[in-house]
Order: sequence, then C-alpha cells, then structure tokens
Amino acid sequence: MTDRKRQSTSTDEFEDPLSNFEPRQFDDALEQALCEESVTAVNSTPIASIHADATVQEAIERLSELDVACLLVMEGDALVGIFTARDVLNRVALDCETECQKRIAELMTPSPSVVHETDSVADALSAIAVGGRRHVPILDVDDKVVGIVSPQRVNAFLQDHFQQIGKP
Amino acid sequence: MGLEQNILNEPVSKLKLRKAITVDGRTSILHATELMRQEGLGCVIVVDTKGRPVGKFTERVLIDLLAKDKAALNQSVGEYMATVWDQVRTTDPIIRVVDALRDHDLRFVVVVDDHDVAVGLTGQRGLAEYVADHFPHAVMTSRATEGQAMPQREGA
Repeated sequence: MTDRKRQSTSTDEFEDPLSNFEPRQFDDALEQALCEESVTAVNSTPIASIHADATVQEAIERLSELDVACLLVMEGDALVGIFTARDVLNRVALDCETECQKRIAELMTPSPSVVHETDSVADALSAIAVGGRRHVPILDVDDKVVGIVSPQRVNAFLQDHFQQIGKP
Repeated sequence: MGLEQNILNEPVSKLKLRKAITVDGRTSILHATELMRQEGLGCVIVVDTKGRPVGKFTERVLIDLLAKDKAALNQSVGEYMATVWDQVRTTDPIIRVVDALRDHDLRFVVVVDDHDVAVGLTGQRGLAEYVADHFPHAVMTSRATEGQAMPQREGA
C-alpha cells in the first residue's frame, strides 16, 4: 500500500519536460527558411586567403587578381584576421607608399566576427548587420575555416525563394 | 505582415539608405578616395549637371589601380568610372533591390527620386540589416570571437 501510494504520488508529480515546449512559429516560408537553413546555403568557396606575413601590396594584388573584396588572413590553419577592400580604402589608399610595405598583420582586423557551419542563414545576416562587415568567416566545430558568408549568395538565396513562390 | 510580404510590398525607402556621395566626372580619384573615406562609403556616384547618375567609381576599381597603376590616382574618376549600375526609386518595392543586386552582380544600387535625382544608396548591407531586423533573437545569440566590430560600418 505504501508502494502504491508512493507510485501514485510520483505520477502526480511527474511533469513532462516537453509539456511547455512551443515550436517556433514563423510568419511565412521565407522566415522559416532563413531560420532553418544552415549557413552552408550561403557559403562561398574556395576561400580567398593570405598569410599574415604577406605585405599589404601583395594583399592588394591578390584582391585585384581574384576580384574579391575580402581576404582571410591565416597563420597555418588558424584564422587570425580579415582584410577587406574597405581596409584598403581607409588605411592604405592615401599613403600607399608607406602602408603598402607593411605586413598585412599590421593592418588587418584581428579576430573577426564569425559564424559556425551549424548556424542559420538568419544568424549569418545578423552577424553582418551587427558586426559591421559584409564578409563573415564560417568555422567548423573545430574552429577551422570552411568558408565565408557571401553577400552574393545571400541575395541569390532571397531571389531564388521569391522565384520559387512565383512572385509577381 | 511577414518578411516575405514585406520584401514584396514595402518600399525601398524602408531600407536604411546611405547618403550618396556625388561628384562630377572631373573629380580626381584621390579626392574621390578622400570623400569615400570621410563618409565611410565604398563608392562615389558620378552625376551630370542635373544631378542624374551617369556612372560610379568604386573601391574595387581603386584596388585595381593600386595593384597595377598607382599613377592613375591623379587622374579623374570619369576616366575609370563604371557605366553599368542599377538604380531603384524610393517608391519601388524592396524586391527590386534584391533583383538588381543579383541580376547585375552589384554590391549596391543608387536610389533616386521621381526626378531620377540620386538621393541615396542601398545594397547588400542594407538588405542584410533589413532582414536581420526580423530576427531579433538571432542578434542576441550571434557569436563573435574576442575581436571587435568595425568602428565604422562598411558597405551600403
């Protein structure tokens, strides 16, 4: 009797841990896609990178040669910074004679904002909006660079969605 | 209204527009570069005498010149401006910006009023901010390394 009483009490006290779970509600399919698709949907590869010991002039030539706006600065496999066309404008262009001879590590932005490959496209867009950079590196679970969020791919993601729903 | 309908129906004026730097074609590249630095923009819009866009000079072109021909920095933006760009009206729906950026592989578009006078710029960054505003929870959880955000925003 005691056991039945104890069991009865346990049943009364038991609370389903998922009883108050409310799945996220989305206003539309686009919001759902942005939240549920991972950043790999807007990943750009191959990655344009440069070693931290390269000169600024070498970095500029690489930006021009590859026709990209951003270089990931690496030391081996480790991401140490980011160098973009905007850095060229702000820090180099008006005094290239001096600045172009420096190591890229001196002018890059160190430790940039990143997202991980398990993050959503919405997270990537927020990183762009909050971090202040159009290019956000993507890391895997071991913090190795696997790509970079591409603004072009983000636009393509949006446009493809509207084409699928047959926008007017 | 959800994000989908907002993009289809809300006007371009709802995006955060950046002030367009306008210059005439005789402006030197060095001076244009200084203006771009001051305003934190990656381009200047070259306009005619009535303020209508006729071309653009961008930091991408600046990089090409620094890589290959630094002496060209003393020349005018008119010599190196791109004549391919797209423009949208303040009253156009935001989807026009999405289409323009992709169709012409652009970073930004010029926003004009009903008289085709440039009133601002918007582009990849403005679009990202608009979409990100619909996901405030993502802003709170966005991961960053120990590094810093840019002290000055990038892009239009």
